[in-house]
Parts: sequence; structure tokens; C-alpha cells
Amino acid sequence: MAMTPEQAVEANALVGKGRSPWSDARRRFFRNKAALVGLAILGFVVVFALFGNFFAQWSNEELDYNVMGQVAELGGPSFASGHYFGTDDLGRDLFARTVQGTQISLAVGLVGALIACIIGTLYGAIAGYVGGRTDNIMMRLVDIFMAVPYMFVLILLLVMYGRSITILFAGIGVISWMEMARIVRGQTLTIKGREFVEAARATGVSAPVIILRHIVPNLLGVIAVYATLLVPLMILTESFISFLGLGVQEPLTSLGALISEGAGTIAYGTTWQLGFPLLFFCLTLFGLFFVGDGLRDALDPKDR
Amino acid sequence: MFTYILKRLAIAIPTLLLLIVISFVLMHSAPGGPFTSERELPPQVLANLNAKYGLDDPLWRQIVNYVWGIVSEFDFGPSFVYKDRTVNEIIAQGFPITLTYGLLSFAVAVIVGASLGVAAAMRHNSLLDYAAVGVSIGAQVLPNFVMAPILVLVFTLWLSWLPGGGWQGPEYWIMPVIALSTSFMASIARITRSSMLEVLTSNHIRTARAKGLPERQVILRHALKPAMLPVISYLGPAFVAMITGSVVVDIYFSTGGIGKAFVDSALNRDYAVMMGVTILMGALTIFFNLVVDILYGWIDPKIRY
Amino acid sequence: MKIRTTLASSALALGLALQAHAADVPEGVTLAADQSYTFWLLDAIKSMDPQINTDVEGSDVLRNIFEGLYNEDGNGDLVPGVALDHEVSEDGKTYTFNLRKDAKWSNGEPVTAADFVYSWRRLANPATASEYAWYMELMQVENAPEVIAGDKSPEELGVRAVDDHTLEVKITTPLPYFPQMLVHASTFPVLQSVVEEHGDDWTDAGTLVGNGAYTLTAHQLGERVVMEKNDTYWDADNVVMETLTALTINDVNQGLTRYLAGELDRVDIPAGQYPRLKKEYPEQAVSTPYNCSYIYVLNVGEKGPEALRDVRVRQALAYAIDRDIIVDRILQGGQKASYNWTHWAIADFERPELAWADEMDQSQRLEKAKALMAEAGYGSDNPLDLTLQYNTSEDHKKIAIAASQMLKQIGVNITLDNYEWKVHTDRMHNQDFDMARYAWCGDYNEASTYLDLMTSYSGHNNGEFFNDAYDKVMKDSKTAENPQPLYQDAERILAEEMPIIPIYHYANVDMIAEDIKGLPQNNVNNNWYGKDLYRVAE
Repeated sequence: MAMTPEQAVEANALVGKGRSPWSDARRRFFRNKAALVGLAILGFVVVFALFGNFFAQWSNEELDYNVMGQVAELGGPSFASGHYFGTDDLGRDLFARTVQGTQISLAVGLVGALIACIIGTLYGAIAGYVGGRTDNIMMRLVDIFMAVPYMFVLILLLVMYGRSITILFAGIGVISWMEMARIVRGQTLTIKGREFVEAARATGVSAPVIILRHIVPNLLGVIAVYATLLVPLMILTESFISFLGLGVQEPLTSLGALISEGAGTIAYGTTWQLGFPLLFFCLTLFGLFFVGDGLRDALDPKDR
Repeated sequence: MFTYILKRLAIAIPTLLLLIVISFVLMHSAPGGPFTSERELPPQVLANLNAKYGLDDPLWRQIVNYVWGIVSEFDFGPSFVYKDRTVNEIIAQGFPITLTYGLLSFAVAVIVGASLGVAAAMRHNSLLDYAAVGVSIGAQVLPNFVMAPILVLVFTLWLSWLPGGGWQGPEYWIMPVIALSTSFMASIARITRSSMLEVLTSNHIRTARAKGLPERQVILRHALKPAMLPVISYLGPAFVAMITGSVVVDIYFSTGGIGKAFVDSALNRDYAVMMGVTILMGALTIFFNLVVDILYGWIDPKIRY
Repeated sequence: MKIRTTLASSALALGLALQAHAADVPEGVTLAADQSYTFWLLDAIKSMDPQINTDVEGSDVLRNIFEGLYNEDGNGDLVPGVALDHEVSEDGKTYTFNLRKDAKWSNGEPVTAADFVYSWRRLANPATASEYAWYMELMQVENAPEVIAGDKSPEELGVRAVDDHTLEVKITTPLPYFPQMLVHASTFPVLQSVVEEHGDDWTDAGTLVGNGAYTLTAHQLGERVVMEKNDTYWDADNVVMETLTALTINDVNQGLTRYLAGELDRVDIPAGQYPRLKKEYPEQAVSTPYNCSYIYVLNVGEKGPEALRDVRVRQALAYAIDRDIIVDRILQGGQKASYNWTHWAIADFERPELAWADEMDQSQRLEKAKALMAEAGYGSDNPLDLTLQYNTSEDHKKIAIAASQMLKQIGVNITLDNYEWKVHTDRMHNQDFDMARYAWCGDYNEASTYLDLMTSYSGHNNGEFFNDAYDKVMKDSKTAENPQPLYQDAERILAEEMPIIPIYHYANVDMIAEDIKGLPQNNVNNNWYGKDLYRVAE
């Protein structure tokens, strides 16, 4: 959705820098104010997702019968009722639901990015390391996969097989590994010729071990940057899926699902139903963007 | 260059075939078919329906027939659900609509976004810069399915300026274009800004300035073209994302475009429409990526194919 | 021997006699210059072919571009359509309809009995592959099952044109409500020459030839349908409304916003918004009973969970759900909590006294439910796990969530399972569910349209409730002089066995523009006709 492909393109720009002076990078990162603000925001969101429930006075599925039916009048945010963020249309506590939605959204982002990274890294590293015709075929395949309108395939998958969280996780991850594979392949090509790889090969280390032990660790910087930029992309994709009503099953929810519910009823005087989830949605994405940009700048010494 | 284009087009064919096979298999392995209705149909009726739409053939044969129909007669078959329409008719009705608001949004996003980005870069660290960055970050994360109902609320209900949906004339185009273009505009503004900043500190711009060229000319003549490179590589993915966004536009503004047709066809198991739209979108994606690549090569002569 | 039902005694007759013309504009009313009516459709119309259409929304359009034998008035009583009246044979199995001579197709050709014969055969003919072919079976038309199964040729269907203006229908069992079934869109006539000339394209705007008060002038799929007054309609002189426009708006909240912005004359009110709108727009927000009933089907068959084969568990589930909360706090649109299957507003039907509905309040029901669960061997140490399946919709979701919380009170853990409509339906057909959300909208205004569904031989009995006593009652009702007591027996069996959990009876909750008059006020089928409408000047 939305802006996210841009991140992929920006990450692309990284190709070609294989140095791993981690301490330098750390120093550069911590000098970047925007990145630090992003990190703080992200930290807050994570703490909220993990520990928010300790403060909630209601569970995420209890119905508050006092409020139900008069949500616009009685369901607003209030400390007295214990609904800090108000309630949804059924009188369920929006605070607890936002906590829960944040958990799911973060999980979708992380798991999706993880899947994309694993597939993409392995695929790219194998193609780059093996080279030759294998590389050629594997990368042509990536070209082909990239031309598939994946959002459509994902919609198909979810419509066809029902809304399972596993399909959602896997589906979102599986549709976005191609860019990663390309980047990793390019990097692998440069690393492949280095002395330590040659040395390992000369001593008879097998190809899978070289890829896993020697090549992948040297790509961690790129992978980390790209992964940070992938997470918001995943979260946005999930929100779109939720808008279509194909997201996670009740009583579970996600920020996307809460936002789309809140946006639908925006004219009915229950703006908190949109406001609070949207706030956390934006905070999460801001945090991830800033941190991702910071990481990229820190690990990519191009401009210095 | 020419062989490059040929090569790319050659890849398009296996891609589309792959797409057809994936979609076909997905659809046919899913529970429920186009004729699943509340009351199970009498066997004779079902058999007739299946025969009419060729669903009684083995799957491989259906795929072959389908592809042959497209290749030989450009016939995507009849819709299984909209009984008086063929897929060609549905696409002929919906696609021009999607294309109209899609291209308009694209133009708005690129022109406004790039101008905003250049302006912000030229006044680096000014109020305008901060405002532009702030607004574009905000606009970037605001999902269009939040934006759309807000637009209708404001411009239709409160101000009565614009019709709340439908597709009857230019005044119906405005809100779909705003809803669809905003986040891309924001992205383009951000990319343009950062790449412009980079270009402005580069040696050849310093040289140009040292020659005493007016700033305006420096920007337009020398800085703009290289600064647009990252923007152009963003256009490919942006285009794909816009196709997705058309679903939201169609749902909220009842535009009758192709995005909603796709979602409906998936829900209704309207196999033929679903295939038709998927293939159309795949072909467009391939085509657009090619255009972007050519554009890229044209702007950056360093790239050789 | 045939008895001519000049109908003086029946309700039908009164209706027929009273209203002979279309829009009933009272004297002294000034009509607005702009006679156009814009209404809301949730989705694109799938087909404009009467014999192919299966949707309620499609029927709303079809009733305006075609006309069947009878129409309904604002109270749901029959008024003449193409048929002026009919005679029934003594055994109740032969109906002879007298068709009006001035009925015309929109291309000027006269509407004849042969057109009906063609259309009804077309509906039953398996070659047409109509999903509503079974409606002919439901009408008990002679040989319909054999024709649908392909065992007999469509020509053998029990319908015949005696002459151009006399249609004879033979049915297998006397059905007192047979005439009521004729307002259904699948029985509307189509013109053979047009259908055969254009094939599947005959319903395109411009090509379509109908016999209704309006003609189809534009159909932009998923965007709008436009119908203009048809001057060849027999009662065109009395049709006031010039243009009918249907706008497709996929989001019910957007629909309301656009209604409030003045773009629509009628729109559904989303769940929970009726009280607020009624307060703000008392003249526009209306709620009328609507012929649909909302239930949870329990899978009591082989493939269902063992627990649901225990009648005590089924009763406990039904008792534990607080329907008042669902209708008063979630839907809030004048729907009625239901303790039985047949909609309360169905003509002549009266719900029997049921102990759990009439003698207990909710807290007593809850106690009873707990006791029943304990008796069946379930409790906090041995909780019952069930899934509740519903198809995608904001309202179904809300009700399912509430129900799952209510069932928690009696120690039942509900897992919610949301599927798209097609998957939902497919799983129901395959008995692949525990509890499933279901709703039925009556095809006509008589209790059997509901009660027939629960027989073991019905095509809709997805929960596999096979009960001989129930089947017998329903079979007997077909030939009974007065079927109502038998219908009550059927409801008693349902309450006793509880194969379905009644939740609520629908209401139509609409915003209707104040200057639009002539929409039905009291028609449970909510069948409306553009020809009855008119817009008054402000």
C-alpha cells in the first residue's frame, strides 16, 4: 500500500557497500536525532503492546452492557468507566483492543519481514554464490515473480482459504522477498571474490556452509536495513487486507481492522474509535521509518 | 535498446502464463464455486451450468482452452455471475474509469510531489521545508480508506461542493484523485527532496554555480534531471500500489472501476472476470515497469542495456 | 366444475376491486416538477433476466421493468397486474387467469398468455440453468420436478395458454397461497422473440423489452441503473414518477452520508443508527417489519459435534442468548427478538404459546440453561467448545461476538469463524460447521415459506434436522383446510427440539425522503413499485 514501495527502492540504493564497521555505524546512528526520536517512539509502542494490558481495566472481549447501545453518548474515553480510549460499538474496551491490535500489527510486520528476509537472503545468496546459469535462471524467475500483482494473489488466497493468521503472516511475507533476493544477490557477488571466501573454499568447506557461515553474516547490515523498511510495508498491507474484511478473526484484531471500523463510523460521533488506533498506527509507522532511515544512513557511508 | 525491449517483452509471456496457472489453480481448489447458492442446485441444472461454462473439463484442458480463447480471438469468456456481460464488456466498462482516475492521480502525485520536494530542498531547513516534510510524513501513513470517508464527509455532506460518488463527469473525478494520489504525492515529495539535497551538494552543481549561472537555471538545467532518478525508479512500485488503491476508491466512491470488479469476482467466484482482471493487471505491471526502465535509461545515459 | 371466485369474500378480491390505477395521488396534493426517485443498491445487479435473477435487489429493479400476473399494494395485498382475476377449480388444483387485453411490451407487442407459458417453461427448463428453477417446484406446478430434472420436456409443464388472454396452470396439491407466489420476479414474463434473438445480451439497456411501467435506459455495472417511464405500459397514464435511478454504493455508511447530502431518496440505516436518526429526522427514519428471520443453525447431523445431538445442550444454547440485547443494543432498528422461526408479521400466522418465550424472563432462561448444561454433563470443569460460523458482515460479526460472550456464561467456549459468503455456504452444504449464522427471507407472505425449510426433504436443511413428526405436520398442512394450527404445531416441535436458535425477526430500517410518497408502509415483503410513487412539491 501507499508509500511503501519507496522504501524498497531506497534500500536498493544500498547495494554495493559491504563494509561492516559496526561501531562506526552505531555512533552514526546515535548521532542522528530523527533516528533517536524514532527509536523512542518505537520503544513506547512496543512497551504499550507488551505491557499495556497491565493497565487495562477491561479485557479485550468483555462487553460493557452499561455502554452498549449508547456508545456515542456513554462510550467515550473516560477514566471513571475505566475505558481510557472509550469503547467500540459493542462496548468493548478500546484501550485493551488497541493494545491487542498493536500486538498483532507488530507481529504481522515482524513475522512477515522475517519470512521475506529468510527467503530473500537464501535465494539471493544461493543465486549469487552459485552463479552461472543457475544464477541466470533464478534471477529471471525473480523477474517473473515481480511482475505478478501480488496484492491480488493475496486477496485470492485469503478469500479462498478463509482468514487464518498463518496465511496472513506467510502470504504477506511470501509476496515480498523478491526485492530482498536481488539486493542480496548483488552483495553476494562482491563478497564471493573476497579472500576469506576463497580461503574457505580452498580448505574444502561445502557451499551451504560457506553461504550460511561466511556470506550471510557479512550481509547482515543490508538485511537489517531492508528488514526495518519492510516492517511498515507489511503493516500497511495488513491494514489494507483488514479494510477488505479479510484480516484476522474476531475477537483478535489489528490496528488496521480497528482503523477501518473507526473510519466507517466517523460520521456518528464516535471519533475516538478512529483516533486512538490511528494514533498508534501512525506512531508505529513513524518510528519504523525514522529508525529505518537512520539505520540506512548509519550503515551506508555513501554521503560521508 | 531494441533488443532489450524485446527481451523484456519475451519475459512477459511466461509471466502471464504463470499468473494464469497460479490463479486458475487457486480458484479451482477453493471451497465454493460460482454456482454455490443457498439452496443446492438440482444436478441437471448444475450439469448444464458446468457444461455451458466449460467447467466439466479437466483443469489442464480448461487452462488450455482459456489461453487459446485469448490468443485466437482475444476472448476472455463470459462472466459467470453477471450473466448478461462478457469479461471483455466488464473490462471495457471499468477499465477506462480506473485508467482515468489512475492516470490523473499519477500526474498529480508526480507534478505536485516533485514540485513540493524541489521547493523544500531549495529552502533546506526553512519553515517550508519542515512543513513539507511534516505534511508528507503524515500523508504517507494515512491510509486511503481513512481519507476517503473523511473527504466525502467534508466535501459532500458539510460543504456540498462535490458529489459523493458515481462516475458521470469531471466533478466526480476530484475526490477519487485526491484520495488515491495523496500518499504517493507525499512519497514523491520526500524522495525528491532528499535526492535533490544530495544533488545540490554534488560537484557538478557546485561547478555550475561557480560559473555564475542563476539559481533557477542551475536547478532546472542541471539538478532536476539527476534528482529525478530515484523518483522514476519509485514509479514502478507506485503504479502497482495504485492498482491496489483503486479497490478502495471503487468501494468508497462507487466509481464502477476495475478494482471493485476484481474483489467482487473473487468473492463471487466469478472465475472468468477474476482471471481477466488479474491478467490485465499483470500485463499493465509488466508494461509499466518497462516504461519506467526506458525512462530511467533516457534520463541517465550511464545506464546501458 | 369450476367456481368463479369473484372474490367477494377473500382479501384478494378486496384488493383487486379497490385499486385499479397506479399512483394513488390524493386530491389537493401538488406534485413536484421533478418526478425522479433515486434509491440505494448495496451491490451491482447481477442479472436483469427475471428467470436468472436470484437477488432481492435485482427483484426491486425487475418489478419495475416487468410485470407479473399480480402486484402487491402497500399492505402486501394482491392487486391486478397482467392478470385481472382468476378462477380456481373445485379441487383447488387448476387456476385459470384472465389476462388484461391492453397489456403491452415496451416494443408495442401485446402481452399474451403464451408469453407466460414460455417464461415459466424457461424457468423450469434445465437448459436455462436457472438457480431459481425450484420455485416452479415450490409452486407445485404439475411436472415441475420432472422437467427440472430433465426427465420430461419443458412442454409438459402444467401451464397452458387457453387463448391469448387466458392462462391455465395446473398444480399438484391445492395451495391456498398460490396467487401470493405470483408476485415473485422469477414468474415474470419475458418476450421470446427478444430473448432468442439476442441470447445472453437481451437484458442490455436498449435491447431489453419489458412489460413493466418503466424501461431500462442505462445500466452502468456497479455504478447505476436508470429506468424511464414506459409509455406503452397499460396504466402509463397513471404513472407519475418519470425516472427511477438506482445507485450502487458498496458501503452502507457511505450510503447514509450521501443520503444526508441529498443524493438519494432512500437508503438503509446502518445498525445502531436508527435511534439517533429518528430523533434528528423523525419524518424520514422509518422501521417496518421485513419478511426475514435470523437464526443460528445447529448441526445436529452425523458430521456435527456430538454435544449438539443432545437436545438439552441445544436448548441451553438457545436459552443463554439474550435476544433483547441484540435487538435493543446492537441493531436498534425496530427488529424483534424472536423465539420462533416464522416471522411475526406473516399474514394469518400467530406464534403458539411457548414456555421459554412467554413464561420465563432472561435470568430464568439463563438459570435453566446452566441447569441443562450441568444435566448434560458440561460445566466449568468440562467446558463445551463450539465454533460459530458467520459470513462477512459488520452486523453478523457484532451479533456473533455478543452471542459468544453470552454463551460463555454457561461454560461454552465459542470460537468465531468468519468466512466469505461462498465458503460459508459451501461449508453449510457439507455440514462442515457446529453453529452457523443463517437467515431466510420469505418468498411470499405465508408461514410455509419458512416452515418448509426445516423438513427433512428441503434443500435448505443444512443442520440435518430430520424429524418425522415435523415432516408429517408439514405434509398435512399442504392439504389442510386451515393450515395455521399445523404451522403452530411445527413451531412447537422446533421449540422442543431446538435445531435452530432463533435470534431476531428483521425490520426494514430506512431513511426515506419526506417528499417521496407511495412507498409501501405495511408490506412485509417490502415489494415496492415505481408506478405507485410520486414526489410532492415542498
